[in-house]
Amino acid sequence: MSATFPFLRACPFDPPPQYAVARAAAPLFAVTLWNGRRAWVVTRHAEVRAILMDDKRFSGRMAQPDFPTVTEARVTVDRNERAFVGMDNPEHDRYRRFFTREFSVRRMQALIPRMETLANELIDEMFAAGPPADLVASLAVRYPSLVMSELFGSPYEDHTFIIRCAVARHGLTQTPGEAETRARELAAYVRRLIAAKEASPGDDMVSRVIAEHVLPGHLSRDDFAEIGAMILRAGHDTTTNMIGMGALLLLRDAGLRAALAAQPEKVEAAVEEFLRYVSPVQFSPRRVALEDVEIGGMLVKKGEGLFMSLPAANRDERVFADADRVDIGRDNSEHLAFGYGIHQCLGQMLARYELQVMVRALLARLPGLRLAVPLEQVRFKDDMQIYGIHNLPVAW
Amino acid sequence: MKVSIDRTRCVGAGQCVRVAPAVFDQDEKDGLVVLINARPGDLGASGVGKAALLCPAQAIRVEPDA
Repeated sequence: MSATFPFLRACPFDPPPQYAVARAAAPLFAVTLWNGRRAWVVTRHAEVRAILMDDKRFSGRMAQPDFPTVTEARVTVDRNERAFVGMDNPEHDRYRRFFTREFSVRRMQALIPRMETLANELIDEMFAAGPPADLVASLAVRYPSLVMSELFGSPYEDHTFIIRCAVARHGLTQTPGEAETRARELAAYVRRLIAAKEASPGDDMVSRVIAEHVLPGHLSRDDFAEIGAMILRAGHDTTTNMIGMGALLLLRDAGLRAALAAQPEKVEAAVEEFLRYVSPVQFSPRRVALEDVEIGGMLVKKGEGLFMSLPAANRDERVFADADRVDIGRDNSEHLAFGYGIHQCLGQMLARYELQVMVRALLARLPGLRLAVPLEQVRFKDDMQIYGIHNLPVAW
Repeated sequence: MKVSIDRTRCVGAGQCVRVAPAVFDQDEKDGLVVLINARPGDLGASGVGKAALLCPAQAIRVEPDA
């Protein structure tokens, strides 16, 4: 089976149907990319996990000629990637560890009261202005931006610029020039922010990392700027998409909404299930085979690229029975929405708590929330590498 | 049952603290794993089995008592 990757969805809530067909036959299948090159898409949970743990035979270094991409624009961006997201070990761990304490479970837990305040303030504003309202613009974009700006130390009014830079990287339609320009602009922005915080420190991540790692000489300002750009992009775009999709999953299922309203302690499990079911990251993580490797009877040749399909792995019936159904009672703990291996999402606990807080707030504050348009008028992000929705008109 | 950790592998994802908070913590200095109870007893009830399974860096080892 070979086809040009990526594929279109048949249903907005399910990954492209080719994944299920391919997954039934083998752990991975060959596809043709935009440039005519061959690559592999890994669809089964066990193999995605195994490959992401196998740093000996698979490289995640983005700045290598064979690294597979879904767009031409991504080639230049990958080649110039200098944050640890694009590194192999030992470099990866060295850089990541400058930031691990900033995202520890305890640190993220301490943000929950502030998240609750911000979520409720935004709901108040939406409530005062509507109905109707676009939940994506009113809540899903602004809420993670507010949390991230306070945590990181970037002024909130810069979030539109940051999102524009994130979209240029995560889109499927940008030109190479546009994507690279935005990547450079965001790194330059963080570099200026570092200079400003060095002169005038605050209670924020940038100031802390300057004091702990930049001033002692462990981390250069330029490297910090590249990593900071990565953190800002991830913190603004992915959670926004999960909030939009999570709200939509609640709106389309009155039974689920009632069950969660009656049992708020199940919100945590519901958020994990939403993460599994939505799996917003579509075409990452990616790897290049460092040697010939046989997987499930197929030969992946040295130098060939592989896409780990998190949406496909998270619908693998071998791990999740009746996987196409949202079931908040299932054991979904092995879902791979945040990836696996050394590159597993650094901000996952931030995202989890942000989502839990917002879902609780929506259920408590807006029990009568409903979709204000037919589902067909919700625009799904088929034009992005991070899946979600562009708009969610709601009333109450 | 004895739990051990390999801090050289840890990437600070926090999965172990999330599912087995009575057994694992993260060092306030570097965010990497700290073992607070090497003999938590039951594998399932303590969350240790789950933590070992979910650890993205496979930094947790569980050995039966000799």
